[in-house]
Amino acid sequence: MNKDNQVLVELKNITKRFGEVVAIDKVNLKVHKGEKVAIIGPSGSGKSTLLRTINFLEKIDEGQIFFEGKEVGYVFKRNKRVLDKPKKICALRSEIGMVFQHFHLFPHLTVIENVMEGPRTVLKKNKQEAKSIALDMLKKVGLLDKKNVYPACLSGGQKQRVAIARALAMKPKLMLFDEPTSALDPELVGEVFEAIKKLAQEGMTMIIVTHQMGFAREMADRVIFMEHGRFLLEAKSKEFFSSSLENPRIKSFLQKILD
Amino acid sequence: MVNNISFSILKKTRRIFLLVLVFLSLVSSLRAETNYLKLGEQELSLGNLEQAKQYFLQVKPPLTDEDLDFLRARLILAKLYFNEHEFTLAKKQCEQILKYYPQNLETQNLLKAIKNEEKRFFQRFLDNGKKYLPALLKGTVMTLTLVLFTMLVSPLGGLVIALGRISRFLPLSLFCWFIIWMFRGTPLLLQLFFIYYGLPALGITLKPLTAAFWGLGLNYSAYLAEIIRAGIQSIDAGQMEAAKALGMTYGQAMRRIIIPQTYKRIMPPIGNEFIALIKDTALVSTIAMVELMRSADQLFNTYFDVTVLILAGIIYLLLTTVFTLTFEKIERKVGAYEQR
Repeated sequence: MNKDNQVLVELKNITKRFGEVVAIDKVNLKVHKGEKVAIIGPSGSGKSTLLRTINFLEKIDEGQIFFEGKEVGYVFKRNKRVLDKPKKICALRSEIGMVFQHFHLFPHLTVIENVMEGPRTVLKKNKQEAKSIALDMLKKVGLLDKKNVYPACLSGGQKQRVAIARALAMKPKLMLFDEPTSALDPELVGEVFEAIKKLAQEGMTMIIVTHQMGFAREMADRVIFMEHGRFLLEAKSKEFFSSSLENPRIKSFLQKILD
Repeated sequence: MVNNISFSILKKTRRIFLLVLVFLSLVSSLRAETNYLKLGEQELSLGNLEQAKQYFLQVKPPLTDEDLDFLRARLILAKLYFNEHEFTLAKKQCEQILKYYPQNLETQNLLKAIKNEEKRFFQRFLDNGKKYLPALLKGTVMTLTLVLFTMLVSPLGGLVIALGRISRFLPLSLFCWFIIWMFRGTPLLLQLFFIYYGLPALGITLKPLTAAFWGLGLNYSAYLAEIIRAGIQSIDAGQMEAAKALGMTYGQAMRRIIIPQTYKRIMPPIGNEFIALIKDTALVSTIAMVELMRSADQLFNTYFDVTVLILAGIIYLLLTTVFTLTFEKIERKVGAYEQR
């Protein structure tokens, strides 16, 4: 089997409800190793929720999740779907990096301590190892000089780059980006964009929820348009923009955000 | 007719008589106003001390060296104050006299006597203080033992109860709610009484010290639990998500990420509680514990000397001051990461 074609994560028929509201409606998604998928769509369409189901921050109500070909995450107890044992869930999450819209850096730790925290606490690396990993990652996002300051002293762009370094320090197999540039001033978007692009070029598998169309076009292999918890259009990024013209709903959405 | 005339004469004489009377009284009052010394001495002989003092105070400074009224009035005043142990006031009077009569020997001697007596009074306070201090300090050691024990135990107890309270396991959460409800909702005094005097009825007899430890420990754990819970719940939910996304367990996330961030927020209210604790230890004096309050109480009942109470107050103030300053220092330290 060709390693590059191996499916890393697969969502089968997943449904997520918040009370009466169906946030995700029987969605299927396959992401191959090394593939970059961008998800776009209006707010409230379920993009972020979908992303969060992948690392079990949201519990799904129906469907299956496969990671490296194995069904993961849920067990049945007395006919009720419950999350698997914390130990297993944590092990899965440690292989999936996540970057949030609002960074969520740990404010009581310095930049390098933020990046070391995962390897130290979760991977049980000793201080020396964790430090060398953290320094590598900070170098990658170009923030070595800020290693000893607290997050309060950083700009939004710098914070997000530290958040990326923090996720990368776990050596994840998959990276999830939840609107990584939406909370940034326009002039700070570029630096975060560059950091993610570099990562993409290194062959990282990633799923990006974004509003930046340029982002999706330049980086993604595949673009998905989502609305009301369903995929309205799924296409190779080169074809996405031409095919999107055929769908009036997507066309008007794209026009709005491109203006 | 005759009657009529004599009546009118009578009427006239009465009018004149009245006029003379008014004139005389006016003159006499004028004269009295000028001699406050005499008035004062009069009041003094009648025993109206306060009135006498008022008159003496109004005697004007002398215009000539022969005028001794001021000297006499103020000297009496100084002696009066001296007898009343109003040393500062007595001294002031002496100094005023010496301004006008610098050579007056009697005043000089009085001033010396006042200063001597003043020193003796302070000395007596110190001597008595020395007599009481050993017992009070012994009590202070016990108070400190109780305070330090509770300060060590209650944050841990509070953390356990707080974590139980926010647990999603309902029985545990309800149990912790119940503990908090019970220990916050009843007086500490009642709890101490129950543990020391009440539990023996149920077959559990505790020594006073053990009973005090349990009472203070549980009560303060319950209070701190609510402070700690508020601290934990005030941390942005994103912090827990970020920790989980890294693969941390709930326990790891709490220990490494959430709880350290609460320190800065919960330190001021916890400092508050600990100041209250120092004073609340006085309550264990009711269950046969000899701490600072009880020592002071015993000494006061033996000597009836207010010095004891003053000393005890000073010791409590010293303790609370030290703890206040320490907590301010800790607060600054744990919040350092938010300063740019």
